[in-house]
Amino acid sequence: MWDKTKEILVESLDRMQQALARLLPALLVLVLILLTSLLVSVAVRATLRRVCARLEVDRRAREWGLVAPGRRSHPSLWVERLGGYSVLAVGLLMGLSAFAAGAASALSVRLIEYVPHVLLAVVILAAGIAVSRALERSVLIGAVNMGIQSARFLGLGVRWLVVVMAAAMALEHVGVGGAVLPMSFGILFGGIVVALALAVGLGARDMVARSLEKHFGRQPEAPADEEEKEEDLRHM
Amino acid sequence: MPISEASGTPASPAATRSAFVAVDVRSAGDAPADTIGERLRAELPELDGVVAQVGWVRDVPGLLDPAAPPAPAGPRAVSLLVGGIGGTESSLGVLLREGARREASVLALVAGEPRGDQGAWLRALLAPVLEEGYDYVCPAYGRHALDGALNTGVVYPLTRALYGLRLRQPLGGEAALSPAFARRLAADPDWKRDPEAAGSDAWLVAKALAGRVRTCQAWIGLQPRHAAEALDASHVVERVLGLVFREMERHTDRWQRVHGSEPVPSSGEAPAPSGEPPLPPVGRLAGVFQLGQRELAEIWSAVLPPATLLALRRAAALPPERLRLESGLWARIVYDFGVAHMVRTIERRQLLRSMTPLYLGWLASFANATKGLDPAGVEREVEALCQAFEREKRYAMARWRWPDAFER
Repeated sequence: MWDKTKEILVESLDRMQQALARLLPALLVLVLILLTSLLVSVAVRATLRRVCARLEVDRRAREWGLVAPGRRSHPSLWVERLGGYSVLAVGLLMGLSAFAAGAASALSVRLIEYVPHVLLAVVILAAGIAVSRALERSVLIGAVNMGIQSARFLGLGVRWLVVVMAAAMALEHVGVGGAVLPMSFGILFGGIVVALALAVGLGARDMVARSLEKHFGRQPEAPADEEEKEEDLRHM
Repeated sequence: MPISEASGTPASPAATRSAFVAVDVRSAGDAPADTIGERLRAELPELDGVVAQVGWVRDVPGLLDPAAPPAPAGPRAVSLLVGGIGGTESSLGVLLREGARREASVLALVAGEPRGDQGAWLRALLAPVLEEGYDYVCPAYGRHALDGALNTGVVYPLTRALYGLRLRQPLGGEAALSPAFARRLAADPDWKRDPEAAGSDAWLVAKALAGRVRTCQAWIGLQPRHAAEALDASHVVERVLGLVFREMERHTDRWQRVHGSEPVPSSGEAPAPSGEPPLPPVGRLAGVFQLGQRELAEIWSAVLPPATLLALRRAAALPPERLRLESGLWARIVYDFGVAHMVRTIERRQLLRSMTPLYLGWLASFANATKGLDPAGVEREVEALCQAFEREKRYAMARWRWPDAFER
C-alpha cells in the first residue's frame, strides 16, 4: 500500500512538474513584460512630467479655469498618472496574452485594440471639461457685468451644455450607447437650451427688451433717469 | 478731404525749425488734417510743418509716399494710411518714423475730433518742446472728476504712485515729443518684443516717466470726445488696465525704487469744465457691484486676500446710497489685480473683466462721497485717493515679491 501511495505521489509530482515546465516560460515572459512596462511607465511619466513643466500645464490650467482658483490641484499630475497607468495596463494585457490560452489571448488582443479609443475618449472628455469651465467663467463674468441676475445659472447652463456634448462625443467614440445616445443627447441639449433661454428671459427681461427695441427701431419707452445718465458717463 | 500735398504754402528759406503733427483719425469722413494744418499755420506761423492724417481711414485716396523727399513747405496737409492699432503701424509708430525721416524739431500726436474754439491749444502743446526743451509734453484737459472716472480712480493715482510724478491725465491720447526722445522711442526693442503694447498711450507714458526724460504737463482746453467712448465699462477696463498693468510689469525695477510723488512742471491754466458734472447712476452701479460680490467671489478669492474679501462683503451689504469703499482698500484691490495680471492667476482678459464690478462699486462709492461737494472738495477727495495709493505701495511691493503669500 505504501508503494502504491508513493507511486501516485510521484506521478502527481511529475504532472505538476510538467505543468510547471509548460507554464514557466509564459510566466517568465509575463514577469519580463511587466518589468519592461514598469520601466517604460516610469520613463513615460518622467517625460510627461518634463513636458508638462515645460508647457506650464498647471499654470495654464489654473489660468483657463480647468481647476478651481485657490485649490492646490495639479492637472500635470493627472496627465502623468494617466500616461503611466495606460502603459502598465497595456503591459499587463500583453503579458496575459503570453499564456496563449485562446480565450484569454483573444480578449487581451481586443482590449489592447480598444485602449487607443478609450484614451482618445478620455482626451475628448478632458478637453470638453476644460473648454466648459473657461466658457462658464467667461459667460458668468460677462453676465455679471451686464447686470443679469441669473448670471450663475447662465454660466452653469453653458458649462453643462459643453460637458454633455463632450461626453456624448466620447461615448460615441468608444462605441457605448448605440442609437440611444444621440437621442438622449438631443433631449438633454434641448432641455439645457430651453433652460438658458428662460434664464435670459427672466433674468434680463428689461435689458433684452431695450436691446430689441433699439435694434428693430421701435421707440423705447421713456427710460429711467439713471439709464439716461449712464449713457452720458465716460470712463476714460 | 486730406489729399497729398493739398494745402501747401511756400516755406520761408530762413526757417530752420519744423513740426510733424500726426492727426489720429478714428472716424472716416472727417478732414481734420486740413483743419489742424490751418491751426498750425495760425498759431505757429514761424514754423515749417507737415500735418499727416493717421489711423483707420480706408477711403482716403492719397498715400504719403515713403520715397518722397522730405520737402516741407509751410504747414500743409498730407494723408497717410495706416492699418493697425498697435506696433509700428500704430499712430505713434507712424509719427516716430515719419517725424524722424523729416527731421522735425517737434513731433505731436493729436486727436482728430473737432474741439470748437479753444484758443491756441496747439501752441500750448508744442511750445514746451520748442521753447523750453522738454522731451515729453502730456496734455491735460478741463474735466469733471467723474468725467473719465477710470482715469480718476485708477490710472492717475496708480501712475502717480508708481512713477512718482503727478500727471493728471496720463492717457489722453495726445502728446508732443522732442526729436531726441522720439529717436529713443523709435529704437526701443519693444516694437519687436511686444508689438501689441508698443505704441499705446500707456507705453509712451511709462517710457517717459520710467526713463526720466524731461516731462511736463500742458493744459490745452477741453478734451475732444472720442467715438470710442461708447464702449461699455468692461471693455474700457480691460483695454486700459491691461495696458497699464503690462507697463507696471515692464518697469518693475524702476517703480519699486520710487517713493512718494512730486508735481510735474505745468503750463497753462486748468480750464473750467463745460456743462454740469455727470451724475453716475449709483443704484445701478451698486447693483452690479453687489451682483459681482455674490457671483464672482470665487474668482476674486484667487486674486484678493481674505481681509479684502470680507471688507467687500461688508460694503456690498450696505444700501447703494451709503456704499463706501475706503481709499486704502481700493488701492490694495488695484494692486492685487496688478499682481494677478503679472502672475496670470487667471486668464488676463477674464481677470480684467472680472474687475469691472469692483470698479463700478468704487465709482458708486466715490459718487456718494463727492455728492454735493464743490470742485475744490472733489479735488481734495481725489488727492486723498492718490495719497492712499502712495501709502499702499509698500503693500504692492510685498505682494509683487511674494504673490502667493495669501493663498489658501
